[in-house]
Amino acid sequence: MFDTIIVGAGIAGMTSALYAARKRMHFEILATEFGGQFMVSGEVENYPGIVKTTGVEFADKMKDQMDFNNVNVRNEKVTQIKNKGNYFKVVSDKQVYETKSVIIATGSHPRKLNVPGEEKFSKKGVTYCAICDGPLFSGMDVAVIGGGNSALEAVYFIKDIARKVYLITNAKELIGHEYLIERAKKINNLKILYKAETEEILGKKLVEGIRINEKGKEKELDVMGVIIEIGRIPNTGIVKNLVDLDEHGHILVDCHMKTSVPGIFAAGDCTSGHEYQYVISAGQGCMALIKTAKYLARIM
Amino acid sequence: MTKVNVYSTPTCPWCKKIKDYLKEKDVDFIEHNVAEDTKAREEMVEKSGQLGVPVVDIDGTVIVGFDKDKIDKSLENL
Repeated sequence: MFDTIIVGAGIAGMTSALYAARKRMHFEILATEFGGQFMVSGEVENYPGIVKTTGVEFADKMKDQMDFNNVNVRNEKVTQIKNKGNYFKVVSDKQVYETKSVIIATGSHPRKLNVPGEEKFSKKGVTYCAICDGPLFSGMDVAVIGGGNSALEAVYFIKDIARKVYLITNAKELIGHEYLIERAKKINNLKILYKAETEEILGKKLVEGIRINEKGKEKELDVMGVIIEIGRIPNTGIVKNLVDLDEHGHILVDCHMKTSVPGIFAAGDCTSGHEYQYVISAGQGCMALIKTAKYLARIM
Repeated sequence: MTKVNVYSTPTCPWCKKIKDYLKEKDVDFIEHNVAEDTKAREEMVEKSGQLGVPVVDIDGTVIVGFDKDKIDKSLENL
């Protein structure tokens, strides 16, 4: 019987694992991907104590830290978590774990636009990862869809790669951090279209344009790249019938990272905090593990 | 002759993971920076039918993304 099973290896899950290792707990961390949001992040400039790094550098550092603490992330996909009353069964694609507690740190995935052409041209000019596929649009015109932090970061990343960048938001103003908005407004090759709905992605083999409705007027833009950054959806499918979720599907947690089920804790982007920051996820991962340890001390 | 080709961009995290993985396994490969090399970009689209990185071509087997199991299987057949 394990003390805890941590599901997910983004910064929340890895922080839980780090603390679990240092507390000498009997645990495993299971994930299909190591690094979480780090693997789609460009520059990271807001993590306290680190002036500037990149997502991939940060992930490498965390991997070193996991190795230093003898934590091995098991490459397993968790398919089900069963509440057995006084313990839990965590079922993965490789085995079944019996555990006294569970920490869910499964993160989130990109929200889709759900417009015609989006699926057809996915990875054919449509991307949800600017730093991965953005450089493929070198010298081309590109549309970034969204108006929040991730869209603004994508715009900044692509501005020197693309010829012209359109930022297309359905809102009447940008809603990201002020410094990102200020930075975006200084970009010479950027055109921001407000109150504009993206209605269709056009093309033959690859993307050739998009059709939008800007303030009631239909318009086509010739772009070869479409970067979609319209928010994220929590990865909570495996617990939707187990713990309480909010109206957006995030796991409801209290300030101790407790879920509605005693013994199940949650941390990071899958939880109901709705603020997607590395430092918050790390803090939540730490809190979840410490409260898990206290929970275990009480039930034993 | 090198039979492994990696199509990547300099900033793509999963491209770095693939290259590190191949190096770890001591596999020789040719890297194509498709952000600058338009001919390689066209070649990648032709081979993989898509415009996304990373793409690895292991002796004719084209794998999109960092799929460790598929890469291992294809390397075994080299």
